[in-house]
Amino acid sequence: MIKKSHIPKLDDFLDGGIPEGTSVLFCAYPGIGSETFGYQILNGRLQEGDKGFIFTNVAEPSSIIYEFNKYGWDLEKNIDEENVFFVDGSSYFIGSPVMGKYSIENYSQIKEVVKKAINDVPSGVGVINNLSTLVDYLGVEETLETIHEWNEFAKLNKTVLIYIFTKWDYEEQFIDEIKSSVDCLVNVNTIEDRVIIGQGFMVVSSSWTTPSNEMALFFIIQPGGVRIYIPKILVTGPHNAGKSTFVKAISKKSVSVDRKALGKFKTTIAMDIGHMEYKGFVADVFGTPGQERFDLILDVLAKEAVGAFILVDSTLPETFARAKEMISKCKAEAIPKIIVANKTDLPGALTTEKIREIMKLGSDIPIVPASAREKIGINEAMDAFLALLYRD
Amino acid sequence: MRLCVESGVPGFDDLGYSDLGCGIPENTVTLIYGPPKTGKSIFSHQFAYHGLLNGESCLCILTDYGINELKQNMMGFGWFLETQIQNDMFYVIDAISRLTGDVFPDSNTYKLTSLNDPADMMVKVGIGTRFVLKRSDDFRSVFDSLTTSLAFNPDKLVIRFYRAYMHRLKEARGTAIVNYTEGVASDVVENAIKSVSDNIIRLDGEYLTIERMGGLKNIKAPYRITDKGVTVEKE
Amino acid sequence: MIPHIESGVHGFDELGNFKGGGGIPENTVTLIYGPPKTGKSIFSYQFAYHGLIIEEPCLYMLIDYTMKDLKQNMMEFGFNMERYLENDNFHVINAVTTNREDLMVDSEVYRYSSVKNPIDIMVKVGEGASLVHKKNPRFRAVIDSLTTLLLYNENMLIVRILKAYIMRIKAAGGTVIITYTEGSTDSNKETMIKSMVDNIIRLDGEYLTIEAMKGMGKRRAPYNITDKGMVVGKGIL
Repeated sequence: MIKKSHIPKLDDFLDGGIPEGTSVLFCAYPGIGSETFGYQILNGRLQEGDKGFIFTNVAEPSSIIYEFNKYGWDLEKNIDEENVFFVDGSSYFIGSPVMGKYSIENYSQIKEVVKKAINDVPSGVGVINNLSTLVDYLGVEETLETIHEWNEFAKLNKTVLIYIFTKWDYEEQFIDEIKSSVDCLVNVNTIEDRVIIGQGFMVVSSSWTTPSNEMALFFIIQPGGVRIYIPKILVTGPHNAGKSTFVKAISKKSVSVDRKALGKFKTTIAMDIGHMEYKGFVADVFGTPGQERFDLILDVLAKEAVGAFILVDSTLPETFARAKEMISKCKAEAIPKIIVANKTDLPGALTTEKIREIMKLGSDIPIVPASAREKIGINEAMDAFLALLYRD
Repeated sequence: MRLCVESGVPGFDDLGYSDLGCGIPENTVTLIYGPPKTGKSIFSHQFAYHGLLNGESCLCILTDYGINELKQNMMGFGWFLETQIQNDMFYVIDAISRLTGDVFPDSNTYKLTSLNDPADMMVKVGIGTRFVLKRSDDFRSVFDSLTTSLAFNPDKLVIRFYRAYMHRLKEARGTAIVNYTEGVASDVVENAIKSVSDNIIRLDGEYLTIERMGGLKNIKAPYRITDKGVTVEKE
Repeated sequence: MIPHIESGVHGFDELGNFKGGGGIPENTVTLIYGPPKTGKSIFSYQFAYHGLIIEEPCLYMLIDYTMKDLKQNMMEFGFNMERYLENDNFHVINAVTTNREDLMVDSEVYRYSSVKNPIDIMVKVGEGASLVHKKNPRFRAVIDSLTTLLLYNENMLIVRILKAYIMRIKAAGGTVIITYTEGSTDSNKETMIKSMVDNIIRLDGEYLTIEAMKGMGKRRAPYNITDKGMVVGKGIL
């Protein structure tokens, strides 16, 4: 029997939800919290009338109850009604009184105590927070052995186990072994440029369905929990660099909110809006006006963007200065960005090396030659963009 | 682009020109270590305060004492933080005050976390770096100290956290000071902490030694703790 | 700049020679350590008793000896504890004996715990600290000694609990003395303990050395134990 995860989008990725008796590992990059996923799944299942437990070795039960409250979830009532309980592996170690049905005063007790807890919640759910802290107490071998035993036990008992894991600088081999110890692996990634500007989750493997390779961007709100959002991608660059054409080229569908301006060229004075779906990455695309009087719009859009395509006309080096200015104007300094050297098919187009030299760009910013009109280099540009976003 | 930042410690920046100029090399992590009570925290407070006076924001991680004690200690030297806190320039991650059993409300620039929850500490560091970078392009960070973390976590986890912190700080191009009390961990752990750090300064109560910093090696000078804080003297 | 409180130890407060009077920096933690039988407990008796005389209540953690012993030991120096037990200014966490052996009634100001149950001790410290604080935000606290706690428990747990103790008492405004026999845990943890306190005083039987104290440099002075308690001589820098 499959039960909803109560995490938006995750159930789509997992073909409906999480089957009973399986294990799910949330593997988060340091700097991103993933315990909310575990708590939200637990809360959802409690509301469905199932039972559950939280094993904690990183926070005292009282502060977890407090956290739940901030999300708007009433854990205390469920504890009183004996729908959920704690395995408190934290309080004793920091010198606070233990709380909960089970408590741990010695790490050697963990394996057996958690097994008892699993036994107490048949067809329910257990959240293990945090697996990575366990590793450095028990050692790699014993941790793996413990997980295997828990998972076996949970399978018999039809209990779902949710592991919260932070991917510190472990050996690759250990990470691989941890990953293969569970039925389903969900990666929680960061999108960053100097600092973390976004976070997304992706199902990497699952024993009951084929993962879609799609990344869902999310933020966490209190109250509320995990919320999915469609990221905004900025397409910007100097006047007449070919932004509208580029937006059309990368979008499944697009609209131009514009009118014919005076002059020789058709110019975007409002903006182009498109919807990009490429290799599982979904985003709304905004092509911004190029003229300086629209810099304000750029500012507003850039605040919500997770990445930017900066278009330049390869044949017009005199516009590069303006492109550089727009990079800093739209705060693209602090979001992942790539330069699309457009009109590369036209005579007089400069090479990407030359463009990098003139624009004085560091090697960390990719420059992709393209022709939006001829549909050349579009996929390459999107691939380079995704590589940057996912930090492959 | 600057290559070095002023330490804010009188006499320190004159100790010698490294490959990069004088002061503390920018975008590096400097370990300050030595026996207990030799002025490591004071050094880091000077570093933070000097940056604040220059308009650089600061990300401060406290594991040994809470925000109130920090303010009190700094006030003892005439370093006042209130304006900087009001201007959102001073961002504090307080990993210890929960131990008092009192509840402190979070604010824009004040986040509580727990020493025994390094994953959560790292989340707060992530949010914190983003915040301080918005306030000023150049920023400093102080992590005081690794010592207490070692009492609350397995050694290995502390080093993992330290690496992740360093990575995050350097990505954001901040300049950081991290304190550690010599002798609280095994030699193996101590060496690991040292080898991870970019620069190493030792304070022994009488002498300050730059063991390693941007090309400088084993530069030793006497110091005192005066009402101006740590003051490095001429040999 | 830093307010100080009187230590109660004869000659000690003159060592610092501060403008605003010497003593121990208020709201700090002082570690008194050294070999066995060098007067560490006596220092803490004087510290506690002097506070009581000037109406600063005290939260005393009884670990090495019974209440009966404490009263007797203090009486040797002419310190009569009875009235302070009566006026509720002397708060005790008794981790040594049960109330049957001790004959004191378990009350708000006199709590029983066990040296083998540091978590329970901490619960009582938390309650005790807020109670004492209500009486007078300027109060004193003593742990005599850390040594026995280390003997009966996992040492790193005691280090963590000590950290929690320090955070609590300091938040409540108290000034703390902790005694510790050197060498009773490994050197890593001993250094850790030293790093957690603000001031460090070593007693070796002949000399008292202020190894570290907030706002002042190192000091050293000879001392004697007399019938008035510890008497510290003139300081040598």
